[in-house]
Amino acid sequence: MHANASFQVEEELARDLQQMKLRLQGTPGSYSPLPHSLDWFASHVHLLIVPFLEAEVNQELVFQLLSFIIQEDLLYYLANNIHKLPFESRKDAQVIFSTAFRYKPVGASDPQVLHHVIQFRPEIIISLCRGYDRRESAMPCGGVLREALKYDSIAALLLYDEPTTDGKTRDLGDVNPDEPSSGNGVFWRFFDWIDKGAFEVSADAFNTFRDILTKHKALVAQYLQTNFDMFFTRYNAVLVQSESYVTKRQSIKLLGEILLDRANYSVMTQYVDSGEHLKIIMKLLRDDRRMINYEGFHVFKVFVANPNKSVAVQRILISNREKLLRFLPNFLEDRTDDEQFMDEKSFLIRQIEQLPGVPVAPPAAA
Amino acid sequence: MATFDGYQVLEELGSGSFGVVYKAIEKATGETVAIKLIDLEDSHDELSDIQAEISLLSTCKSPYVTEYKTSFVKGVKLWIVMEYLGGGSALDLMKPGPFGEAHIAIVCKQLLLGLEYLHATGKIHRDIKAANVLLTDSGKVKLADFGVAAQLHDYKSQRHTFVGTPYWMAPEVIQENGYDFKADVWSLGITALEMAKGEPPNAHIHAMKALFIIPKDPAPRLEGDSWSKDFKDFIAQCLIKDPDRRASAKELLDHRFIRRAGKVEAMRELIERKQMFDAQQDTTKHLRYYEETMVDLSPKTEEDEWIFDTIKQSTIIPARQTMKRRKMARIPSSEAADSCASMMQHLDMNAAPLGSVTDSPMPERRRPVSRKSSSSTQVYTPTGSTPTAHRISSPSKKPLGVDLSFGNSPSTVRHFKRVSSGERRAALSSNPPVNSNSFHPNPNAKTFRPTPPNSANPLDFNDENEPPAPVYQQPVPITKDALYGRRAYSKVMDSVFQEAYANSASPHQREALGGVHQAWAHLDQVDPQGEFLLIKAMVDRLQNDSKLASVLGVAVTPASTPKHSTKSCETSLSGATVHGTSTTRIRSSTTTTSSTYSKASSEYTSTPVGTPTGTSSGSPLKGPKLVLAQNNPHLKSHRRRQSAIVTGEKLYGPDGYALDEKKLPGHVEPGMEQQGLLADILYGQWMQGLKNRWPLS
Repeated sequence: MHANASFQVEEELARDLQQMKLRLQGTPGSYSPLPHSLDWFASHVHLLIVPFLEAEVNQELVFQLLSFIIQEDLLYYLANNIHKLPFESRKDAQVIFSTAFRYKPVGASDPQVLHHVIQFRPEIIISLCRGYDRRESAMPCGGVLREALKYDSIAALLLYDEPTTDGKTRDLGDVNPDEPSSGNGVFWRFFDWIDKGAFEVSADAFNTFRDILTKHKALVAQYLQTNFDMFFTRYNAVLVQSESYVTKRQSIKLLGEILLDRANYSVMTQYVDSGEHLKIIMKLLRDDRRMINYEGFHVFKVFVANPNKSVAVQRILISNREKLLRFLPNFLEDRTDDEQFMDEKSFLIRQIEQLPGVPVAPPAAA
Repeated sequence: MATFDGYQVLEELGSGSFGVVYKAIEKATGETVAIKLIDLEDSHDELSDIQAEISLLSTCKSPYVTEYKTSFVKGVKLWIVMEYLGGGSALDLMKPGPFGEAHIAIVCKQLLLGLEYLHATGKIHRDIKAANVLLTDSGKVKLADFGVAAQLHDYKSQRHTFVGTPYWMAPEVIQENGYDFKADVWSLGITALEMAKGEPPNAHIHAMKALFIIPKDPAPRLEGDSWSKDFKDFIAQCLIKDPDRRASAKELLDHRFIRRAGKVEAMRELIERKQMFDAQQDTTKHLRYYEETMVDLSPKTEEDEWIFDTIKQSTIIPARQTMKRRKMARIPSSEAADSCASMMQHLDMNAAPLGSVTDSPMPERRRPVSRKSSSSTQVYTPTGSTPTAHRISSPSKKPLGVDLSFGNSPSTVRHFKRVSSGERRAALSSNPPVNSNSFHPNPNAKTFRPTPPNSANPLDFNDENEPPAPVYQQPVPITKDALYGRRAYSKVMDSVFQEAYANSASPHQREALGGVHQAWAHLDQVDPQGEFLLIKAMVDRLQNDSKLASVLGVAVTPASTPKHSTKSCETSLSGATVHGTSTTRIRSSTTTTSSTYSKASSEYTSTPVGTPTGTSSGSPLKGPKLVLAQNNPHLKSHRRRQSAIVTGEKLYGPDGYALDEKKLPGHVEPGMEQQGLLADILYGQWMQGLKNRWPLS
């Protein structure tokens, strides 16, 4: 490409991007100009991604394009307005985000754009989460988020987000992980998105929620310890006891996954010490939906197998010993081909049979 | 938001890979729609598989793809509202006879347009076949059934999952060495042949055998004078075994055969032909209608409720004892202890350690001596009156009774490879790789848990050469060895015997083998611990004989038991077969798991982090965090922490438990060893079970 031609391309790009930004921003006070220029917008967003899709990517052009995008802060406006875009353009926008976040210059090992975003414009990540507020934007935003969640700094950004007076997202450097969360940051909004959203929104939000909680174990273990009570109170109330079958079933399963992760060991011991938690889980065993029973079983077994059961837990198990011993043998008895389940069930029966007659304070609890 | 009440549900249209499909009318618009109804309780699918289909569908909008409208959950049922296609599937339309060339050209053109759209948006359909090609009343052709479709997130990426329907599968999909959009083009070629001949090539062969034949044989061709040169060449372009040389959907749209294709309206002829055919057949069709399942509203009896009343504190026995079990026997007053005591009385030292106690309510598990099939299980879900297709997401053991010949299973296959012990070990080490930029816990924090040498993976049998563990003289002899014995029998011996039995031809051999098998099963029933010690002794002796050891390959690897068990698993082409119009899927979940795992960990290293510091240092750095130069103090402190961890880890050598060992899962109070051990064994299994229950996203 001639220097001149390349310069022209750049000129055009810069102009287009500025136009795009203006249209996304809208003029305060006036109606949004977007609906009237959807076609223009769609074709231009699509033109933007063309260089990203070409088989032989023109590295230089991609670099130029991304520089302009960052310079114009286009990602921010895009993240906030993705729901206004027409159908195919929303997917194009997702491609722009993914390509930008994945972009590494030749030879570099760091995703530069993502760096920049985390460092100077974390609001973009928060705005992407807010995409769950609307059905149109939920999936493209969710896709981008989950890809970015490969990096623990993104998970940290979401977990430690707090509302600020100036509306700016707080700097990760200011975070004291021992300080409990206010419960008003963006992470806590996931509970609502999962519980209240339409099926597609809820399902996508749950996938992102699960990624936040399972991808970066040490980070999450610390977070859960600091915010143990608030997290599990909400988790139990909103998710495990959700009216929605899908939410309920998925979150019981995720609960099992969180508890059984060795990184979360002390969270697990704290969780299974609570009689209230056990009550909630035991009710799941009696739910009239079999898969709820099944997922509940996988949490219940952790309480029973715990060699150092708390007094509260022992008390519940002991006062229900007879009932449990009558109940468990017939519990999901048609799962005969699930060998592991059968083994675990007989193990639990054995454990319950061997419980002492009255609760005994666990030796380690001193 | 549309709800159930917004739709008037009419007759059943059929059943697909996911559930039953009904015709319905959207009350608000009067529009006819198709509603796929999935019972999430019954479905053997993971919820996330279903969600994946929906999210894929919802990002497709093309005149050549069945339109997705909305979905919602009502109770345990998921409703997926789709565009109604009155013309039926191409497979239906073939009932009166195969298609002529002109019609095939039209269908192929429309399909290519659909594929062009999908591929341009990074999607692979992966299950193109006549059954998944639907027509509108007016003859428009649309791609349907995205049950196995995949979204490629990176445009240059490839899939490694083994998915599709055997006869239509491209060789590179079967060989599992990575494939992309071109796989759909192959399937399209097979579909064209199917429409011309009435069935796909190799249809008379068992589906599993077809899997071997497709990559081996030369690509099928269309032959005979009745077909034009263009059509034959089109087929030849689609069916090129090397995906790199195979044409793309876009290129094929330029093929003469496609450019000459007529208008879609001509497809009306085939729809009318089918209607005539149905009329002649005089099939008084039994229409099935949607019926709402009645919820059992009968009040729960008191028996159904748990007792959560609090008991007064005073009933608690002061803590300080190690032998809990003895204590309870001394409290005869409580009812519970009574039953315990009576159990104890019935205990017989000769009884099987894991067998049910005489008066235990637990029904004894059958251990059939002569099972019908080898461990290479294939699951057959018998077709009931409603041919709802189940996809089975975990390989379960059922008799090998599958008839996979073409007529019986026009379906897609999913394959779940069992986890080999190596992968299992990798999967079990849940502690993420330690590296510089990730977030680290304080080594002194309670969360930090070093892996104790043996308990980390209870599935490892590394103690082969140690002296046998002392036999516990506990009243209830659940010993480690007994568990291992049981495991060895159920995972290895049983299936080995069955396979040997199945492979031996002469009745004498069979009789002899059967005898040994029966005797062994008896031993397993009566004395699993002895069983394990016996196996162990055998392995030990074999190892000591260098010649035998090298022949058997047991010389170096002591972990003979898990090795065998995986072997028996791998030989099985297990997987789940399905009936109906649906889809068997083959998927190698483990390979992907491990590869994604390693991928994730390699990305880990390049993490652009400025995470909050995990330690109690309380001196978070100010200013921008993310450009981490090598001399960045933040990074340095990371390194310091990391090296602290590394040295910390070294402390846990074979026996150096420096930290609060009471907090570790491997730790148990004296006298509670068995329980702790069991808990740990189970813990490992649970982790594995969990891995299997989350499908890959």
